[in-house]
Amino acid sequence: MRATLALLLCFLAFASRARAEAKISDFQIGLDGNQVLASLTLASAFDHRFVARVDSGLPTTIVYRFELDVVRRNWWDPRLKSCTLEVVAIYDAVDRVYTVHFRLDDKLIESRTVHDRKALEAAMTRVDRLPVFSLGNVHDRRRMLLRARAELGSRNVMSFIPVLITTEWVQSDKFRPATSAAPGDNRSRGRPAGSAAAPPAPTPPPPQP
Amino acid sequence: MSLRQLLLRHRKDQRLIVGGLAVMLLLFTAFFYLFLRERDLPAFLVTNRLLLFVLWYANVVLILIVLFVLLRNLFKLLVERHHRILGSTFKFKLVATYIGLSLFPVLALFAIATELLQGSIDRWFNIPLRPVLERGSAVAQALRDRIEQQNLRDAQQVLRETSGLDLRAPAERQRLERLLAELHLDLLSVYEGSEFVQGVVNPQSGMKDLPEPRHAILEEAAAEGEAFQIDTPPGGRGKLLYAAAAADGRPATPAARGARRTVVVAATLLDPALAERTDRLIEDFQSYRQLEVQKDDVRASHLLIFIMVTLVILLASSWVGLYLARRVTVPIQALAEGTRRISGGDLHHRVEVQADDELGVLVDSFNRMTGELANNKELLERGNRDLTLSNQRLAAERALIAAVLQSVAAGVVSIDSEGRIFTCNEAALRLLRQREEEVVGRPVAEAWADPERRKLAALLAEPRPEGGKELHLFLGGEWQTFEAKVTALEGAAGPPRGRVLVLEDLTELIKAQQLAAWNEAARRIAHEIKNPLTPIRLAAERMLKKHRQGEPGLARAIEDGVEIIVREVATLQGMVDEFSRFARMPRPQAARTDVQRLVAETLHLYQNLKPGVEVEARLDGDLTGVTLDAEQIKRALINLLDNAVEATDAPGRVTVSAQRRDGHFAIKVADTGRGIPPEAKEKLFLPYFSTKGRGTGLGLAIVHRIVADHHGSIRVEDNHPRGTVFTVELPGA
Repeated sequence: MRATLALLLCFLAFASRARAEAKISDFQIGLDGNQVLASLTLASAFDHRFVARVDSGLPTTIVYRFELDVVRRNWWDPRLKSCTLEVVAIYDAVDRVYTVHFRLDDKLIESRTVHDRKALEAAMTRVDRLPVFSLGNVHDRRRMLLRARAELGSRNVMSFIPVLITTEWVQSDKFRPATSAAPGDNRSRGRPAGSAAAPPAPTPPPPQP
Repeated sequence: MSLRQLLLRHRKDQRLIVGGLAVMLLLFTAFFYLFLRERDLPAFLVTNRLLLFVLWYANVVLILIVLFVLLRNLFKLLVERHHRILGSTFKFKLVATYIGLSLFPVLALFAIATELLQGSIDRWFNIPLRPVLERGSAVAQALRDRIEQQNLRDAQQVLRETSGLDLRAPAERQRLERLLAELHLDLLSVYEGSEFVQGVVNPQSGMKDLPEPRHAILEEAAAEGEAFQIDTPPGGRGKLLYAAAAADGRPATPAARGARRTVVVAATLLDPALAERTDRLIEDFQSYRQLEVQKDDVRASHLLIFIMVTLVILLASSWVGLYLARRVTVPIQALAEGTRRISGGDLHHRVEVQADDELGVLVDSFNRMTGELANNKELLERGNRDLTLSNQRLAAERALIAAVLQSVAAGVVSIDSEGRIFTCNEAALRLLRQREEEVVGRPVAEAWADPERRKLAALLAEPRPEGGKELHLFLGGEWQTFEAKVTALEGAAGPPRGRVLVLEDLTELIKAQQLAAWNEAARRIAHEIKNPLTPIRLAAERMLKKHRQGEPGLARAIEDGVEIIVREVATLQGMVDEFSRFARMPRPQAARTDVQRLVAETLHLYQNLKPGVEVEARLDGDLTGVTLDAEQIKRALINLLDNAVEATDAPGRVTVSAQRRDGHFAIKVADTGRGIPPEAKEKLFLPYFSTKGRGTGLGLAIVHRIVADHHGSIRVEDNHPRGTVFTVELPGA
């Protein structure tokens, strides 16, 4: 009974993911003192289904998951840190504005208003030098790498089994943190792409009739 | 697994199922609530859809668990049925009936409902609603776009006409008011960067104060050259459509972008009714688009509901079936287990199943029956122990009896009810001069087929043997005399189980008795002879004396002496004759005789012989044609009557009775006389034995001799109330 249930849950856990057509590109990291800065671009995320959901006014979310690992020889080697960046877009058709909320580990770090879909896509799919981790309390000075994945909502299999649409995990270049890193975590000072700290790409004006 | 463990496990399963269903119901309720209220909940709670996703997935997992439990129950039923476990067939049929009764309607309902839902959803979205809503929304958007574009052109015109003027001057305010009126705007304001310069408002618009546009439109206009904004005016009625135009359009260089630029903001207030209608058109289209996006989720959620309801109904059906079946099969299994235990000898086993229906009555009856069986078994075991002890005792007694029988000098032969010789002890084999294998286990007629031993068979064949009989058998070249006594083995009830023949060898005893008798006879003869000899000798001596003395009475003495001598010689002669007669007694010459006549003739001799003594005859049945020697029997009868009459004092009675019975002929002579002392009875039939003090003492010896020559027997018994009875039995009558 227990073994069967465990197998069932494992099956569901593995079957609950579907590969998205979207891909993470230009995944780069930077180090600013103790801060690990992540930059990436999510390509092909705004497909027909995603656009329809955004334009319907329903809250639409892209979740970026970041994991900081030492260079692991085995899959059971310990993971250092992980965090999530949720980008939620809500369209107000009356006022014709897109409101985008950015939450890092469930903490709201920014809300932004854009007026067209290109600006929205840029806001949701580009992360520019976002301070995702602080190495202040990490004493392991082995080589590390950053992994990232994007989750673009869910869809139903067999009409009633929901599956999560995710991208592949991407890895950054390996890096070794500086030995003289000062303690402290100033991750909350970071900004997503297009913010004041890292301004996003220029937002085109709304389309003219 | 014991019955108790089975019940506990089932109870655990039931708790698991009830708990699972409760959790599923709770999660499903939460999920459904969130799903319906998704748009009303805060974005941060629902927008990432994680909670919704988890709840949805939990429901799917629980549905699969319910499905698993259902299939597991069915699989277990099939396995139990395959292994022919008691009650499994009944349980399987009951569950199959319940599931069958609910499966087809539920599946039909599921299919119909699913199809209906699918069709309904498709119909909802197939209805040409979208174009209508889309067109309406587009019209509303186009209206707003047109107004915004017009406002933008107006703002650009104002920017051109006021270029280079100091708009802070009061005179220039009038210019702005004029342009506001000419361009039919409701608001016109000028900014330097984000700093307000001058602004006018159409007093007919209803706005009393100058509305302040949001800072973002100024920044965007400064950066991009133009910007738009829709806002609610102070007072909350209608919509203000802003358009902002910056001087010199889009700056070419970043430095130009950072400079303070003149921005003109023109706005038109939409009529509140018109604004509400356009908003409603846009919102309706948005709602429709949301429904479109959520179409799959709606279908999935309803499908989930149908599946869950279907599975819950099926599970409930199977569960009810299992519950009802267990209410029947568990007591039956307990009874079967009890039967098995009882058949294995555990009579103290009790069925402990709580049931309050007919099965409860059955269980109570079973337990009562088990108790009675235990009691009966205990009684049986006690009886068996007693019986074993009795058998052991009987075996010991039987061995003792066998040892006794083997050690006694008398021959003992037992014959079963079928006439077979059952046992024959050593003494009997020795007396009869036979081997054991010739006798034991064989029928009497076969074992004793020769003429001599056939007498034993004849004795055993007598229906009612009484007392002992003296038998003379010529065995091994010599005569043997036995006293044979046959005793019936009477059962506790019913017919006799056989007979026992006891043989006592009288040959040596008779020889000894004969020797003693002859000694006695010689003594008596010597005595009897001596008695006459003395007078004879005295007479002879007296005559000799007279003769020698020459006495004158010699003649007389001779006459007297001769007379004495002659008389005594006569006595001697009679004695010798008697003895000769006894010695010369011929062998009987048997002939068919009328005993009634014989008895009558004999009794006639004794009529009125002794006053006061009556002699009578009692003759029963047909006494003619009896084979015997009439003369010898008559002599024996006379001897007996002589003794009886002599022994009977007046008044007295002597009775002679004769009868034929079972092939035997018996004569009894009974008197009411003095009787015979017990010590005299043993010597009564010996020659020269007499209790009278006179006579030869050969009378009863002659009677005994005659009876023995007829292969009969004679016995003497006391008569009641007084007297003596002589019984003569003769065979072959």
